[in-house]
Amino acid sequence: MKIIEKIKTNKSADNLTEIQKICLDKLQSSPLPNTRSEQWRLSNKSKFSNFLKYSVNEKNPKFDTPFPNNSQSTIRLVIGDNCQINLMEENYSIKQLSEEKLVKYIKEQISCFDQNENWSDLLNLSLNCTKNTLGLKINGSKIPPIEIFSHASSNSLNAKTLIIFLEKNCDIDLLQVNLGKENSSLSQSTFFYLEENSSVNHGVVSYGENKSNLLNSLNVIQQNNSEYNLGSLHFKFNYARFEIRVKQSEGNAKTNIKGMQITKKDEQISTFTKIDFNGPNGFLDQINKSLADDKSHAIFEGSIIVPKIAQKTDASQLSRNLLLSNHAQIDTKPQLEIIADDVKCKHGATISQLNEEELFYMRTRGITLTEASKLQLSSYFQEIISFIPISKDRWNLLDKLLNEN
Amino acid sequence: MQSKMKESDPILEVENLFASTDNLPILKGVSLTIYPGEIHAIMGRNGCGKSTLSKIIAGHPSYNITNGDIKFLGENINSLEPEERAQLGIFLGFQYPIEIPGVSNLEFLRVSTNARRKFLNKEELDTFDFEELVKEKLEIVKMDHAFLSRSVNQGFSGGEKKRNEILQMALLEPKIAILDETDSGLDIDALRIVASGIKKISNAQTGIILITHYQRLLDEIKPNYVHVMSDGQIIKTGESDLALELEEKGYEWTDNFIKKA
Repeated sequence: MKIIEKIKTNKSADNLTEIQKICLDKLQSSPLPNTRSEQWRLSNKSKFSNFLKYSVNEKNPKFDTPFPNNSQSTIRLVIGDNCQINLMEENYSIKQLSEEKLVKYIKEQISCFDQNENWSDLLNLSLNCTKNTLGLKINGSKIPPIEIFSHASSNSLNAKTLIIFLEKNCDIDLLQVNLGKENSSLSQSTFFYLEENSSVNHGVVSYGENKSNLLNSLNVIQQNNSEYNLGSLHFKFNYARFEIRVKQSEGNAKTNIKGMQITKKDEQISTFTKIDFNGPNGFLDQINKSLADDKSHAIFEGSIIVPKIAQKTDASQLSRNLLLSNHAQIDTKPQLEIIADDVKCKHGATISQLNEEELFYMRTRGITLTEASKLQLSSYFQEIISFIPISKDRWNLLDKLLNEN
Repeated sequence: MQSKMKESDPILEVENLFASTDNLPILKGVSLTIYPGEIHAIMGRNGCGKSTLSKIIAGHPSYNITNGDIKFLGENINSLEPEERAQLGIFLGFQYPIEIPGVSNLEFLRVSTNARRKFLNKEELDTFDFEELVKEKLEIVKMDHAFLSRSVNQGFSGGEKKRNEILQMALLEPKIAILDETDSGLDIDALRIVASGIKKISNAQTGIILITHYQRLLDEIKPNYVHVMSDGQIIKTGESDLALELEEKGYEWTDNFIKKA
C-alpha cells in the first residue's frame, strides 16, 4: 500500500485528522481498488499507478483558470484558496459549514461506504485536510449562480472535498469545474444533499492538461420531490474516472443526467454511475455519451437499482458512443437491477462512427471533410453542453472541444 | 442526337465511364455531354445506375471509377473530392436528403454558401447578410423562415426536404445541377413549386440533369434531351418526346434496344 505509506510519511500520524485516520484504516483493510471488481476491472493499471505517483500536496498553487470570470452575477469559489463565504441576503443565505458539522456529516457518510465502491472517496478523505474541504448550506430562492473550482498543481497529488446541503424549497444553478495541470493528479469528492422540494442544475466540467489525472466522485442524496439535473463533461485527462452515485432516499424524486467524456491520444476516461431508487415513483432520464479517438479508451458502466419498495419507478439509461479511430476502444455496460414488479425501465447502448452519408451530404455542399466532421461533432456535443448550467456560452466550451481537443 | 454544333464549350462531359463499388460493376460505359442552357432527363428502371451516376459525378467516396473520365469545363475531375467539385459548381440534389440532427439549417446553409462564395472570390457573408440573402431565396421555393431554425432536414416532410434541396441549389448557384428524383414523394402543388424553383434558378449558363421516373416533372420542365439507362449504360437518347413514348410503352419497350445493342 504505497499510497498509505505516502500519506503517513507526508504527515506524522499524530497530525492526521480523525477522518483521515478512519479512512486510512479502511483503506488498509481493503486492498487497492480490486481489479477483479466490475467497477475497476477495465481501469488501466499503469495509468492508475501514475495517478498515485505524485506527492501529496496540501498547498494550493496560484489559481489560474482558462475560464474567465466576467460575469458580475456569478458567485465564484475556489476550494482551498482561503475560501470563505457567508452570505445572508433578503431571499437567500449561503453559509459555510463549521468544521464540527463537516466532520459529523463525513463520519456519517463513511459509515455507509462500501469499501470497494467508495474507494475513491476513502482515498480523497484520507488525503484531504480541512482547508481543502468546502461545506455549504444553501437556503432560499433567487440565488445567484455559483461556480466552484478545484484545481491541481503540477507534479502533485491534490485532494479537494465539497459538501453541499440544499435546504427545503431551495433552487440553484451550480457549476463545478475540476482543472487538471500538467503531470498532476486531482482527487475530487463531492457530497450533495437535496432536501424536500429542492432543485439543482449541477454542471461538472473537468478539463485536464497534458498527463493530468483525475478521480472524481460524486455522491447525491435526494429527498422527496427534489430534482437533480446533472450535465457533465470530462476531457483532456491522461486518466480520469468519474463516479456518480445518486440515491433517491424515499423515491418521489427526479434525476436527469446528461454526461459526456472525450478521449484522444492514449487517454482513458471512464464514467460509473449507480442510481439507487429507495422508494416509489422515482424518475430517471440518463444519457451518457463517449467519443474516443486515436488509441484512447472510453468506458461507461451504469447501474440502476430498483428494489421492491421502488414501485412505479420510471427510469431510462442510454449510452451513446462515437468511435473515431480503428485503434480506439469503447466499453459500455448499462445495467438494470429490478426487483419491483410495477416499473417502467429501459436501457440501451449504441456504438457508431461518424455518419458517412451525413458527411458526404455536407461535402456535396462544398463543406470540407474537416468542417463537416466538426459540424457533426458539434451536434453530438450540443445535447450535453446545452444541459450544463452557467457560463457555457461565455466559455466557448464547444470551441474548446472542437479546436483544442 | 447531340451532333448539332454548339456555340460554347460543354459544362460536363462524362466519357465512357465505368465504375464499381465493392468490386461490383455498376456503370458500364456511360457517356453524356451537357452544354450550357441544356436540360437533360435520365430515366430508367430502379437499379439501372441513375443515382449511382449522379453520386459518382458528385464524388461519392464509396465508388471507384475503373475507366473513363468526368470533365467539368474541360478539366478532368475524377480525382477531386466532393467538396472541391461542389465549390467548382456541381450540385447534387439528393433523392433522400439526409437529416443532420443538431446542425441548424441556417448555419449549414451559411457555411455551404460561403464555401462556394470563397471559391468564386466573393466576400463571405456574415449571419446578418446571409439572413437577407436566404430570405430572398426562400421566396423561390415558398418556404417559411421557421425552417431555418430547425436541424437540417430533421422532421421535414418529404416535400419540405425537396424544397430545402432546391433552396440550397438557389444559394449555391451551381454551373450544373443533378437532381435525383426531386419529384418523388411530392404532391401536385409541391411539384409545381419545386419545378418553378428549378426554372427560376436555371439560366442559359447552367446545365441541369433531371433523374426521374415520371413524365409529370417533365411536363413542368421540358428537357432538351432524354436518356434511357439500363444496366449501367445509356441505351437510348432522344428529345423530349422520348419520355412520352416511354410513359406510354413502359421500360419493356427499351429492352429491345439492349437486344439490338
